[in-house]
Amino acid sequence: MMHNEEEAIDLSQEAWVKGWQRLRQFQGESSFGTWMTRIVINLCLDQLRKHKRQRTESIEAMDEESGGVERQMPVVMVNPTAGLERGELRQRIDRALGQLSYEHRTVLVLHEFEEMEYKEIAKTMGCSIGTVMSRLFYARRKLAVLLADLKKQDSV
Amino acid sequence: MDHDEQLKLQAFLDGELPEGEAREAAEWVARDREAAAMLEELRHTREALAGFETGTQLPESREFFWSKVQREIQRRETPAPEPARAPLFTVLRRFLVPASALALVFAATVMVIRPAGPLGGTAGTEIETALSDSGAFTYRDYSAGTTLVWLTYPADNEDAESDEIGTLE
Repeated sequence: MMHNEEEAIDLSQEAWVKGWQRLRQFQGESSFGTWMTRIVINLCLDQLRKHKRQRTESIEAMDEESGGVERQMPVVMVNPTAGLERGELRQRIDRALGQLSYEHRTVLVLHEFEEMEYKEIAKTMGCSIGTVMSRLFYARRKLAVLLADLKKQDSV
Repeated sequence: MDHDEQLKLQAFLDGELPEGEAREAAEWVARDREAAAMLEELRHTREALAGFETGTQLPESREFFWSKVQREIQRRETPAPEPARAPLFTVLRRFLVPASALALVFAATVMVIRPAGPLGGTAGTEIETALSDSGAFTYRDYSAGTTLVWLTYPADNEDAESDEIGTLE
């Protein structure tokens, strides 16, 4: 989600500290793992929002938010990850994820890895379900194109 | 295919559509090649991510990671040292200085409003002035317009011991 190892470690430590401090608030309504994951996600989102405030707004960034060129991209017909070994697949996905904007990457991570529903993601990120759907769609499309490009580069 | 249709297709893939709409979407994909291709691309991406291992090896040891967490918790739980208390005099000075200033201003105001001297006194009051240096005592009665001066002889100081005796005009 952060795509920065050092920052991710700092945030994970901060999450444990916060978890310890708020332990009395844990009511057991969800599992401890879910509760901790929520703390981690919130910390990551706060940090990413800070990054966004610091980032200079540009036409490119605005375009990225609303989808931009991904809308017109042709459909990737071939599975770009077919036949890849696990290590290679991981490396490619890692590189491709790194090229997504944080909004797209976050939605993708929350949906695919944390298995959150649209409604849950919207609540967590403080946006509408429509925005979540839109971001998820563009994130997937862009990722497909990036993975296809990586496949082409590796086969040359 | 418009954007809403694209999103509907994705929702179908993610199982977010109600049963009726999901059935409609399935029928749509079955007869529309563009929709089927798009759905396939989205599915490939989802499957690729499903095989992506999220676990990662930390660049620092497990013990070091947890010791940092522990230190941070201890640091935050230790109450911050209270600032050293100011001595009593310092505390009192905070109140005494403005109080003194106020008292001075009040005294100065009283002096300005009620000037000393004959005009400031009440008519008919007898005022006594003792001049110990010259050995002279003066009584003035403004109501009667009288001034009476007593001179002691010999005087206590040198000036008074001189032969010259002052006179009143």
